[in-house]
Amino acid sequence: MELKYFIIRRALVIIPTLMGLTILTFLLLWAYGPNLVAAGFESEKYHNVAAALAAQGFNFSDPIGTYFSYLAHLFTGNWGTINQPISAKTLTAVEIFFPNTIQLAIAATIVSVIIAIPLGTYIGARPNSPADQAGRIFSLSGYALPAFWLAYVLIILFGKKVGVVPYLNIFPYDGNGSLNVSSPIFNNFHVSTPTHILLIDALIAGDIPLFESAFMHLILPVATLTYGILAGILRFIRAGMVDASNQEFVKTARAKGVPEKTVIKKHIRKNALLPTVTVLGLLVSSLLGGVVTVEYVFDYLGIGYLAVYTAEATQVWGILVLTFIFGIILMITNLIVDVIYAFLDPRIRY
Amino acid sequence: MVEEVIGLEQVNAGTKKYRPRLELFSATVKSFVSNKAAVIGAVITFIYFAIAIIDTVAPSVFGIPSGEYTDLGYYSKHISPVETFGIFSPGTSHGFKYLLGGTIFNYPLLPAMFASLKFDLGYSVLIVGVGALVGSAIGVTAGYLGRWADEFMMRVTDVFFSVPFLILAIAFSTIFGHDMLSAVYALLIIWWPIYARLSRSLALSTKSLNYVEAATAAGSSKVRNIFYHVFPNVLSPIFVQISLDLGSIILIFATLSFLGITNLPYSFPELGALISDGDNFVTSFIPLPGFHLIWWPLIIPGFFLLIFTVSINLFGDGMRDALDPKLRK
Amino acid sequence: MVEENITVTEQKERLKVQDLKVRFFTSKGIVKAIDNLSFSIREGESYGLVGESGSGKSVTATAVMDLIPDPPGRIIRGKIYIDGFNILTDLDQLAKIRIKSPTDVIIKRKKRLIKRHNYIMSGIRGDKVSMVFQEPFLSMNPVMTIGDQIKEAILLHGRVDIANSIIKRETMNAQEVSKIVDTIMAQPDTQTRNKIIVRLCGEYAIPELAKPFTDLFENSTDRDFIINEVLSLVNTKKTGLNLEKLEESKNYFLLRERILDLNLELIGAEHSGDERTAAQLEAQIKELKSTMRSQFLLYSIKRRFMRRFIDAPFEKFAEGRTLELLTQVNIAGPERVMTSYPHELSGGMLQRCMIAMAFSANPQLLIADEPTTALDVTTQAQILDLMKEVNKNYNTSILFITHDLAVIAEMCDRVGVIYGGNLVEEAPVKEIFYNAKHPYTTGLMNAIPRAERRFEKTARLESIPGSVPNLIDPPSGCRFHPRCKFKMDVCSEKKPKLVEIEKDHKVACFLYSDEVEEEPREEIP
Repeated sequence: MELKYFIIRRALVIIPTLMGLTILTFLLLWAYGPNLVAAGFESEKYHNVAAALAAQGFNFSDPIGTYFSYLAHLFTGNWGTINQPISAKTLTAVEIFFPNTIQLAIAATIVSVIIAIPLGTYIGARPNSPADQAGRIFSLSGYALPAFWLAYVLIILFGKKVGVVPYLNIFPYDGNGSLNVSSPIFNNFHVSTPTHILLIDALIAGDIPLFESAFMHLILPVATLTYGILAGILRFIRAGMVDASNQEFVKTARAKGVPEKTVIKKHIRKNALLPTVTVLGLLVSSLLGGVVTVEYVFDYLGIGYLAVYTAEATQVWGILVLTFIFGIILMITNLIVDVIYAFLDPRIRY
Repeated sequence: MVEEVIGLEQVNAGTKKYRPRLELFSATVKSFVSNKAAVIGAVITFIYFAIAIIDTVAPSVFGIPSGEYTDLGYYSKHISPVETFGIFSPGTSHGFKYLLGGTIFNYPLLPAMFASLKFDLGYSVLIVGVGALVGSAIGVTAGYLGRWADEFMMRVTDVFFSVPFLILAIAFSTIFGHDMLSAVYALLIIWWPIYARLSRSLALSTKSLNYVEAATAAGSSKVRNIFYHVFPNVLSPIFVQISLDLGSIILIFATLSFLGITNLPYSFPELGALISDGDNFVTSFIPLPGFHLIWWPLIIPGFFLLIFTVSINLFGDGMRDALDPKLRK
Repeated sequence: MVEENITVTEQKERLKVQDLKVRFFTSKGIVKAIDNLSFSIREGESYGLVGESGSGKSVTATAVMDLIPDPPGRIIRGKIYIDGFNILTDLDQLAKIRIKSPTDVIIKRKKRLIKRHNYIMSGIRGDKVSMVFQEPFLSMNPVMTIGDQIKEAILLHGRVDIANSIIKRETMNAQEVSKIVDTIMAQPDTQTRNKIIVRLCGEYAIPELAKPFTDLFENSTDRDFIINEVLSLVNTKKTGLNLEKLEESKNYFLLRERILDLNLELIGAEHSGDERTAAQLEAQIKELKSTMRSQFLLYSIKRRFMRRFIDAPFEKFAEGRTLELLTQVNIAGPERVMTSYPHELSGGMLQRCMIAMAFSANPQLLIADEPTTALDVTTQAQILDLMKEVNKNYNTSILFITHDLAVIAEMCDRVGVIYGGNLVEEAPVKEIFYNAKHPYTTGLMNAIPRAERRFEKTARLESIPGSVPNLIDPPSGCRFHPRCKFKMDVCSEKKPKLVEIEKDHKVACFLYSDEVEEEPREEIP
């Protein structure tokens, strides 16, 4: 019961931040000036820029009114058009690219959590041992590594370019199959794409080779992303383990006669994972940052890829909308993280 | 339990004259020096800064005439048709300049990296410095004044934290234009909230300490309190954050130019741009007989960057451990 | 040889500590926390250890459980007999300590042996000796319910007994019941009768039926009626579980207990240098382990992945036992408490739960490390009463550690006074309060406000000048001499020995005896 109120209370906190974010992006739009606001709205229909602006409700001598029309555009999905990397309405482009990013991010998160928990437990139970030192170096390198550089190192070590003579070995890296960016998306696959997540779509269509290809294409991007997040999670779990094992209740557990292994797994680890959950929000932030570079390097068609191309081509509506979307994703994940934390830790709900 | 058995007060009472600041400082230095990794990190960081400074003040020290790197004409004359794509490979056969080989248009890689360092480190220090100064001023004031000022600042920083930094940087520099300076402006705008948050929380915890309350009771004004009592306590964590942030900023810089958001000309020295130049060799490589993979323009600048970020992180971690009395053994 | 090591102590002594020496290796130097400490606790006795903070009381308590945090601390020397077994038998093998300088100590730990040591200790802790800690809020796991924590303690020890009593309950028949009812009815005294009922109910894993049964026996004298009632009540408690599976569990735990026992013997044999026996035992352990692996392979896999199903009867038993324990420590609404988390309860309640947990395996020795310090006065009194009751009912020995002399007067039979890691005086509680010998003890006594002295001229409370010594660099000779009113020259040169000057009254002071404590020459100062 109290958990429900906690969720509602926590969700309400999002609203001011959301409004702040719209103001921030609006300020960016305002700073860019009137010219390209119109450009996103098929200005050729109108005889001049002023007419195009007026049609969209923008009036650059009236900031308040313009802000509200901007809000209206933002929340109705009327996000204008972009030319790069596909020529389409921004909303359509986001619809197509977004599921891929979800697929990538979730895969990376799952892989890193699966590795991080046992590894962090092992390392955290042995502070200052050689294993701990190695873990420290690993997490430090993950923190300090330029993700795009790591991606190329992985390509040189394991990658092969589709369509060209396979020169090294295993994993293809240029996007989802031999996908031509400028052609209508996903027509190459001859499968319908209800979810826009290729792994699932291929399974629905029963196209096993396509599924296999999509899976193989996922491996290097996921590995690159995982390296960074894993390093972060590992660091926090290790710190949590050391912190928890110095607490009194561990002594109580030992005094009860709980075997050492169980002390670590049941008593210390559970308490160590709790603070780790609180920093997951931060990690999601770095994950989303990582998504941008990884998608760019691997030509992986997600919103990070979209963001880089819209930014490169100065498609202002595109980049503002994406900033907004990234913000919303982060806010929602933070909300989920907090709720999970409240669910896990009986103390927080009061 | 250990503290209890040692009887810490007695240890201190035994010394002739009790000088807490000095003792604390020497303990901090001692603790830092005993951490080998941190010392190595500090030394390497220092070397990087030295290179950047020397390259600015007296580039001839490295045996490379000043400004030579950006002269495109000079290098295109030197491209040798014998090598693959005319790029020299690492080794000493072409002189010190080409010790690490050449990159695109056969620019010598080593001086290019040194010149990049000049830009990257210079701008990073500027951004972090300004960010720390502005951010901590705002944070301490808001934290100390409390109420609406604090609330307002928290809501504003919330907005900045609600979007991943890289995305914000991309958005801002897109709006400002695609050059180096717009990236700098962008990062200047988005980097202060970190310091504001940090110094706010520190100010809040210092504010309620007994000695600050005692000072207020003795008639010390708010402004005086902020400068004499709150600020000194905020300083050391801020320094730690600065050292850690230098690593992140330089990475974001490199990422921005790598992604082509800061659209730099080919001859412009920047580590991310150098790596981006290097990736062309890898992605367009076709394994036919007689062709070799030109890996060094990609790998070496990346490694150069990696070493810096790792060392500055080691340095920052070591500093944090040394400054935190709880973590000292 | 082996025998000598394992059963040298008198049967009556529940705990015997000999020449205990504990060191903490810190960056400031070696802390000489405990030096040559010896004392013993008899059956059913409540022994108080008193001293200022920083004198080594808590370290002693932790050392008895072998829970000194390592690093930085280590037990360097000594014997601690719990139930006749010296838990420090393999102490010398566990680590090699090399001292370069006081601030630079290299400790080489033998991981394999430490692992075995911990394995054996986890069989002893909680089973033979339990501990109640100072801070109930910090000492409970914040993310587990109270019930889960107590259940865990119950299920860690005596699984075989649990399985046996469950089997007994499930196979109980009319014949057995009538026999039991006869024996109970033969008892004329209600109190002993009730005691027997409670004991039997525990034995048959039906603790919750103790109350209805006592009522039944009180209200009725009709033998057949009682037998019928008992039978029907017991039958409601039968769960009809698969006895074969339970039998398998029982055998598994029997084997585990056997391996633990063999390991104890092995350590004894190794220590006494009896290589042949040691080799034999080792071979035996290996064989048992391989039997366990082959015979219980499927079982252990099932236990790992389907613990909930395999352990269900045990869990159910533990639940009943937890309720019983919580009722015993006078907790109101034990069902509710079982499902609550530590932060939902008050300090007094938590401390009761801690005591319940400590008694889950009916240990012979309870170590209470300042159990009432963090509580307010009224709760303190209740907790002390509870511990006294437990001490009386179960004949449990208690090692009571406190700085509060009033608590000592209330609780203890015998008192040891500890100063700077040394035991300076040991006597029955009355002797300590009315006939203290050591200047430190007399100082402590004079620092207590006493009603009967308020009209005397010297009504001012006396305090002992100075403070607890820094144990990195303790005073030479008697550690108390810098603060002592009766200091003599010899005090700073030699260390007095703890000598029995009256019956049961031992003092370490040159005012009473000239005997000098001989320090064995050791590598570790």
